[in-house]
Amino acid sequence: MDIDMPTDDSKISTRGHALGRLVRRPEAGSLLGMLIVFTFFAILGGPIFMAAPGFSSWLNTAAEIGIIALPVGLLMIAGELDISVGSVIPASSLTVAIISGHFDQPEIIGILAGLGVGLLVGFLNGYLVTRTTIPSLIVTIGTMFGIMGLTLGLTVLIVGSTGVFIVPDPVTKALLGTFVGGMFQVTMFWWAAFIVAVFYLLHISPWGNWIYALGGDRESARNAGIPTARLTIGLFMLSGFAAAFVGVAQVLTYQSAQVASGQAFIFNSIMCVVIGGVLLTGGSGSVIGIVIGTVTFAIVNQGIFFSGLDPNIGSIIIGALLLVAVMSNDAFRQMALAFAARKK
Amino acid sequence: MNIGFGVFMRRPEAGAIVSLFAVIAFYMIFGGVSLPVLFGAASWVNFAANLGIVALPVGLLMISGDLDISIGAMIPAGSMTTAILSGYYELPILVGMAGALGIGVIVGLINGILTVRTSVPSLIITLGTLVAMQGIILSASVLLTGNASVPLAAPDWAKATFGQLIGGSHQIIIVWWVGFAVVLAFVVHGMRYGNWIFAMGGDRESARNAGIPVNRMTILLFVLTATSASFVGMCQAILFNSAQVSGGMNFIFNAIVTVVVGGVLLTGGFGSVIGIFFGTLTFAIVSQGIYFTQIDRNWSNLIIGVMLLLAVAMNESFRKLALSYVPRRRLSP
Amino acid sequence: MKLKRYLVASAVLAIGASAAYADGANIFVVGGKPDDPFWSIVKKGAEDAGLVVEAQGGSVTWLGPQNYDNLGVDAAELIRQAIDQGADAVVGPNWVPEAMNPAFDAVVAAGIPLVIYNAGGIEAADQLGAMNYVGSNDYKGGVAGGEYLGNAGNLNGVCINTLPGAANIEAFCNGFVEGMTNVGGQGSVLPLPATSFGSATAVAQAVRAHLLQNPDINAVFTIGNVDANSAVSGVAQAGRTGQVQVCGINFDESILNNIEQGTQACAIDQQGYHQGYLAVSILNGYVNYGLTVPTREILTGPGIIDGSNVGATLAGVKAGTR
Repeated sequence: MDIDMPTDDSKISTRGHALGRLVRRPEAGSLLGMLIVFTFFAILGGPIFMAAPGFSSWLNTAAEIGIIALPVGLLMIAGELDISVGSVIPASSLTVAIISGHFDQPEIIGILAGLGVGLLVGFLNGYLVTRTTIPSLIVTIGTMFGIMGLTLGLTVLIVGSTGVFIVPDPVTKALLGTFVGGMFQVTMFWWAAFIVAVFYLLHISPWGNWIYALGGDRESARNAGIPTARLTIGLFMLSGFAAAFVGVAQVLTYQSAQVASGQAFIFNSIMCVVIGGVLLTGGSGSVIGIVIGTVTFAIVNQGIFFSGLDPNIGSIIIGALLLVAVMSNDAFRQMALAFAARKK
Repeated sequence: MNIGFGVFMRRPEAGAIVSLFAVIAFYMIFGGVSLPVLFGAASWVNFAANLGIVALPVGLLMISGDLDISIGAMIPAGSMTTAILSGYYELPILVGMAGALGIGVIVGLINGILTVRTSVPSLIITLGTLVAMQGIILSASVLLTGNASVPLAAPDWAKATFGQLIGGSHQIIIVWWVGFAVVLAFVVHGMRYGNWIFAMGGDRESARNAGIPVNRMTILLFVLTATSASFVGMCQAILFNSAQVSGGMNFIFNAIVTVVVGGVLLTGGFGSVIGIFFGTLTFAIVSQGIYFTQIDRNWSNLIIGVMLLLAVAMNESFRKLALSYVPRRRLSP
Repeated sequence: MKLKRYLVASAVLAIGASAAYADGANIFVVGGKPDDPFWSIVKKGAEDAGLVVEAQGGSVTWLGPQNYDNLGVDAAELIRQAIDQGADAVVGPNWVPEAMNPAFDAVVAAGIPLVIYNAGGIEAADQLGAMNYVGSNDYKGGVAGGEYLGNAGNLNGVCINTLPGAANIEAFCNGFVEGMTNVGGQGSVLPLPATSFGSATAVAQAVRAHLLQNPDINAVFTIGNVDANSAVSGVAQAGRTGQVQVCGINFDESILNNIEQGTQACAIDQQGYHQGYLAVSILNGYVNYGLTVPTREILTGPGIIDGSNVGATLAGVKAGTR
């Protein structure tokens, strides 16, 4: 029985609806949103926003949030949340600063230790989520508090204050903490690398399907033979690693680490991911979408300063933008599903 | 007696009550807290009351399957509205109070309508309203008063009802909290609305098909959460004679964890008002109890985090125990 | 069974052994949140004075809010808690007078000696019946910063407010604007949206964008040491190091290094260590021995740290006391 013989009809119809196919992609909505937002701030911000200073401004912001948004997005696709990123950032910053600044060890040891902290927290999160029935939102809130407390307590115990300083050696500084051309934070290039890696993970490697399956229905995924526990733990470790990486980059760029930092990243990363079309209920989303969402958020976040508007308005715009973006994503999705049905 | 114990364990509040005792025991054993001082002190009870009034409707909303994180901005919204209207513009306090509650209703309506009209999850919608409200409160306060902190001098009758200190230490909002809990417990567990809420949390579509006005209940619950948050803000403004614009991120986490410690399932369909009540007490003691010990404050967040995870884990195991509990009573032939 | 007996026993022991407070002065200090860099210095001062307090049989307990979301309310509650726990003496800042005055009144009404520190000024101490005021003056600190920068030739300044809504921060920025105007310049305030708080990158980018959009600004005033570092970075990224001067409240090692190298102009010092140390010492002396300090208003600031005196300050910073 020959089942894969396409009829002439279907070939014609798919060609004719290429644009429709494009619009049907989940990223279409968020791309449109990003273009609208960019145009809005370009009009308001004028030539400075459209030039290198403007670009580097939101690219720098986007890079930092973006590195965290990627694994947070993966977790959301898999149906989980990670709130603890907010406390892993200062924890890893301080680890680097204490080891390489206070104790004067070579930077590479401090950096590895900082990244190790992130991996450890991620493992803890994943372990608790898979071994108990406690939802990941609650587990990560608990670990967030715990890490916050540990960070503060240990820092004051070891250093005697809540901030630690470090003067990194030139090589490390050039790799992780410098500004290319004085304006473009080198973190941007690391973000690009992350994007490539995560894109491969989600869209090319077999694990990608597993992640989608996990978010669709965990039990079915497990029954289908997917190692759900290991995959979940791996994803949490990835988000812990990403948060630790941002912490490392921050301390090397600004040469100081503070206990109280990172809170804003929690909700900001969730917003980026959602604006980018990832469904909170899991099972749907894409890396391109997350990147677009991150860029959109960064443009609003920074564009407000170029626009001459009251920065307080910035929060209102971000909130409204989030709602509009998500609703339009929703509308696009409905349209796309309806469009597909109409083809019959 | 076994049956009695089994029945108790099966109730959703069992875990919360046990957690409460465990937490008190921990502070007594490891922190050297003396029980009479703890029970005589008002600080944690005040904390519990302010948190509890919001935790109750947030918990009900969670039972019905939704989340509301905009409460973090609704408390300062309520206190700011009251202070600006009745403090800065010197309108009668009733106008200020109506304004505060009114904002709660409006934001609740927005949250609720958006949740039922679109398929966007409530976490995201309320995240949007949270951020938007933070911006609105700040801009409004700076635009209207030029300041980010607004004083308010409420008349005596308002202070007596909403903002006085009983015995010089206990805020009267405690009375409001207990009253609210009693009313809600009766409505949820004694009237059909409770069944509706549980049904919605179990399976929304089935509930709708069963004839439950799912949309109206959802909107009502969102209005309740937002308004209770602005009510708390209003009382604070009246009691403390001032309102401040500030972030409310921690309050959100506190409320969610309180509700979960109280036995409510994050996924909905399970929980009880009494459980939320005890969960609030537990969280208040976890958070404030450290001030009664000599433990260095630097470790306070660590203690909070660990205790929360333990409390929730205990809840979970109790629940599983309860669900798998089979009465040893044998069926007589 | 054994476990149960053990638990009961330890519970009884705990109740019984929970200390009736010691004979010396039990001093309660209400201050900032534990991870606030400035307040950890104040706390160190209070704890160092506490060594003497404990040697004389007393104790020092630090009460600070978890966060600054609800500053006045939380602080007022902590003050009342001090009363509840049987304080012999109370040290507190008057951040939000309308909210905290009733609590301070209750302290005085209970006959507990009170010292106001860090915020409120001698006016607050007089009004509340407190023994003394130890501290700087936020508003004047801002004014000093504005005048310093203005006198150095930077006549268009912006105050970066990363914590809009906190009353003491508002006072700093308003003071800064007045300071600038006093010397013939102009000042403005740039509040940052809630989504930027705690992120050095966001602050740096915001400062940079603002400078690019407003090229006449040549002075930046920050309300915390972390922000000062971010502002210096923002200025550098805008390519205007040397044209734009940065000054701010409080400082730490990297800020002092920046001042030494000239990338930051000045820092306003309120000597937080002394605020904690002196307030506790005064009360300890009074409660134990009836000693008083007749001088009303013990000012610990504002002082200006700039290139001329940065060297001497560095040693203290390394010890965590400045």
